[in-house]
Amino acid sequence: MGRKPRKNDSLPGSLDMLILRTLSGRDLHGYGIVQFIQQSSGNELLVEEGSLYPALQRLELNGWIDGDWGLTANNRRARIYRITAAGRKQLTVETRRYAQLTLAIARVMEGE
Amino acid sequence: MLRRLRYWTNSARRSEALREEIELHLAEKAAELHAGGMSAERAQAEARRRFGNVGLKQEESREIWITRFWSELAQDIRYGCRAMAANKAFSSLAVLLLALGIGANTAIYSLMESILLRSLPVADPESLVVLNWRGRPPLEGSGKWVHVVHGLQGLFWPGGKGALISGIFPYAVLETLDHQNPAFSTLFGYCNGHSRNLTIRRQATSAGAEFVTGQYFHGLAVSPAAGRLIGSEDDRPGATPVAVISFATSQNRFGGPPNAIGQSILVDSVPFTIIGVAPPEFFGVDPAMSPDLYLPLHTNLLLDGPETARLYSDANFYWLELMGRLRPGVGMAQAQTALAPRFHQWVATTATTDGERAKLPALLLNPGAEGLGSLRRQYSKPLFVLLAMVGLILAITCANIANLQLARAAARRREMAVRLSLGAGRFRVVRQLLTESVMLASLGGALGVLFAIWGMRTLTVLFSHGQENFTLRAELNWQVLGVTAALSVICGLLFGLAPAIQSTRPDVMPALKYGRGGGPRNRTQNILVSAQIAVSFLLLVAAGLFVRTLDKLHSVQLGYARENILLFSLNARQAGHRAPEITTFYENLRKRLESIPGVRGATFSQSSLISAGSAGGVYRGAIRIGAVTVADAGVMGAGPHFLTTMQIPLLAGREIDERDQPGSAPVVVITERLARTYFGNANPLGRRITFLDDKRELEIVGVSADVRYGGLRQENPMTLFAAASQFSPDRVTCALRTPGDPLNYVRSVQRIVREADSRLPVTGVITQAAEIDRTISRELMFAKLCTGFAVLALLIACVGLYATMSYSVTRQVGEIGIRMALGARRGVVVRMILRRVLLLAATGLALGVPAALIASRLVGSLLFGTRPDDPGTLAVAAVVLLSAAILAGYAPARRAARIDPMAALRQE
Repeated sequence: MGRKPRKNDSLPGSLDMLILRTLSGRDLHGYGIVQFIQQSSGNELLVEEGSLYPALQRLELNGWIDGDWGLTANNRRARIYRITAAGRKQLTVETRRYAQLTLAIARVMEGE
Repeated sequence: MLRRLRYWTNSARRSEALREEIELHLAEKAAELHAGGMSAERAQAEARRRFGNVGLKQEESREIWITRFWSELAQDIRYGCRAMAANKAFSSLAVLLLALGIGANTAIYSLMESILLRSLPVADPESLVVLNWRGRPPLEGSGKWVHVVHGLQGLFWPGGKGALISGIFPYAVLETLDHQNPAFSTLFGYCNGHSRNLTIRRQATSAGAEFVTGQYFHGLAVSPAAGRLIGSEDDRPGATPVAVISFATSQNRFGGPPNAIGQSILVDSVPFTIIGVAPPEFFGVDPAMSPDLYLPLHTNLLLDGPETARLYSDANFYWLELMGRLRPGVGMAQAQTALAPRFHQWVATTATTDGERAKLPALLLNPGAEGLGSLRRQYSKPLFVLLAMVGLILAITCANIANLQLARAAARRREMAVRLSLGAGRFRVVRQLLTESVMLASLGGALGVLFAIWGMRTLTVLFSHGQENFTLRAELNWQVLGVTAALSVICGLLFGLAPAIQSTRPDVMPALKYGRGGGPRNRTQNILVSAQIAVSFLLLVAAGLFVRTLDKLHSVQLGYARENILLFSLNARQAGHRAPEITTFYENLRKRLESIPGVRGATFSQSSLISAGSAGGVYRGAIRIGAVTVADAGVMGAGPHFLTTMQIPLLAGREIDERDQPGSAPVVVITERLARTYFGNANPLGRRITFLDDKRELEIVGVSADVRYGGLRQENPMTLFAAASQFSPDRVTCALRTPGDPLNYVRSVQRIVREADSRLPVTGVITQAAEIDRTISRELMFAKLCTGFAVLALLIACVGLYATMSYSVTRQVGEIGIRMALGARRGVVVRMILRRVLLLAATGLALGVPAALIASRLVGSLLFGTRPDDPGTLAVAAVVLLSAAILAGYAPARRAARIDPMAALRQE
């Protein structure tokens, strides 16, 4: 099984951003989102699977993503999520905030 | 928010989708693990393990959509249910008290709504306007009638500051104002047609009629249930007589509206054709009336004889009621400004003397949406009094439950303290307690609706006491239910707030420390109990006053027999009889009635003694004895042996009997007071009385004792009994003196009248006792309701007192234990508790007495023979209250006396 990936708990709230970023490239269903994040982070980030669905519901409630029934790559019925225009705007906001945060952290770390 | 709502509406589908999604997720994960070399079973278990608690995650996902407020509310309600179930005695008592309070309020309010607030069931009732006029009273100080109103048929009512208001006009006003009217799109008139003899397929009954002008139905914008309604072409002299009947009449007599159209009917033996049926909800313009029959105004020429023509030509005879519909965009004030000068101008031309010119009536427009409101004038004050009473009852119910809650809150203080110290927000805890209160109140309200349904039926019966075709329709409609719901929530908040705030006071430590009780004495509770006692005292006084009023009315010396007399009315003129034959007809009928086996006497008069005056006398003009004018005397047309049958003592001379025929010398019997006033000690027999307007001289043949004539509240007025046969009245009220229950003779009476003339219906069958009670129905109703309310209030206050004392005894177990351990006797302890009870009651009385003195003055006009500050009533109320208080306090006092000092001290 190799090395166990780290759970994404270092930055609370970043899960929303990761989901939005993932969906900004392609429409995916829930499991697909988990896999994509895991793979594209080079197995560094593991989404806590249980938190994914509340997060998806929250994003949908805010109108940032839209879920609809469709088929997965293996031809199974699943809810496929798609990012909305408002979601893209939110992604920009969160990306900027993330960049500011990481920059600030980097400054602190360099200062030491 | 909108998205949330949408989620709510299809939440079932959404949660199903979520479940499916998560299942797919688990399946794919398991498949991946399986492909990685794990056994299928293990892979599935591993997938689940990694996902975490599926149910919890589902719940979390769902809750994102449902706001916290709602989920917490659901939580509070669940908790509230548990708390209520845990304390069943308290909860059921509170719910029961609330049900009584809210139910009584709902019932009275629904009655008010139906009488005072409901609009006429016609299109756009807001644009209807009733025409009234306001003026100075016609009678001058000298007793002379000076007014442009020379004659009238209709009502005046007081308008404040000595002015009179009336809603009747001469016919000419309709024509004057209708001509190029800038404010009204239609102006229409109507007048009460009273009861008529309606014959359908040879079956005669009595029916209420309304005369209406041609624009009436058009102006009210009513559409027929069948056929067509009366139009302008029907309302002119000489038009074919047509009639519109009420929906109920069409169903009862023809089996449905369509069958009635085109049928011939006889109204007072004049043939009419039915052209239409009014819609079911329509009751005319006066909610109190509800006519069966609508006739074109001018048909009164056919029905009431040729002298009716005068109504249309005489500009000084007032009789027609008027209503108008405002043109779109015209307000009432605007209409008033436009029409008042026109009316003034016209009425000035009708004044014949300077005296009349000095007090011309002024036009006054009133909103017509609610209809004429004769019921409103009659009942608005009683209803407000009743509403105030039930309001007070609800207030003390709330105070009481607040009190019980306070006691309970003290018991729950530990629980609250624990919750607060564990970090619950104070607002959160208050909210939870309020939820509990509102739940209690809502349950009470729901039960109260059931109670209100029963109450409304009882009230309608009480209000309609003896009135024929009473049309009040109190019902539970949405407005009433809405008010009830609002009332419940307000009650819940009212009685819940104080305890909730008190029990969550931030000083947590003492509560945790004291545990069961002790702590500072509860002032709020004492204030609430005293207030309840004060209010109960108020209601007790009200009940006392009304019961006393009723008692006074019942003990009035009538001067004639109350029991064993059967009364019923006949109108032979409407069945086609005319003078002089009508006199013979009535006399023959009287003889036949007299011969019914067992009947001890039969007579007739032109109305019953108690309702004389309001029913109209045989003669109303000026009366003189020599050159002296007799003021304020009533004339009653009486048949043979009237005094004997009614058991009115004859003091001198003879009574009216068979000798007094239409052709014989006119005679009269006068009452004692009249004789004393005008003849002093001289013998009045053989002297003469002049009926000036009739140009008739009557010989006094007898003197009778005084009688209560025309109502119980009147002091014995001066009365003249004239021979009915010499005045040939159209309608008579027959009186039968019977052994035993008079109602046993109704069948025989109906048979005899049918044999005499099958076209003649027997109406208004009632016993003399019931007829008298009918004139005091309002007082009867008040006495009954107030007594009920007072008992209820007293009960509630006693429960409150009991609960407070029990609670304080529980709290003082330790103190009492020490006292007893130190040698206090049981009697001392009982007295100590009772002294506190009496102190509370005395405080309540101190508050209640001044309040009662002020409030009773407001109901002064509803009383009879009783002063509003009647000291006897106040004393009785105070005694009743104190005894009840001692009774309520005795049980806790005894419990206190039974405390075992050792056990009590050990607990401390």
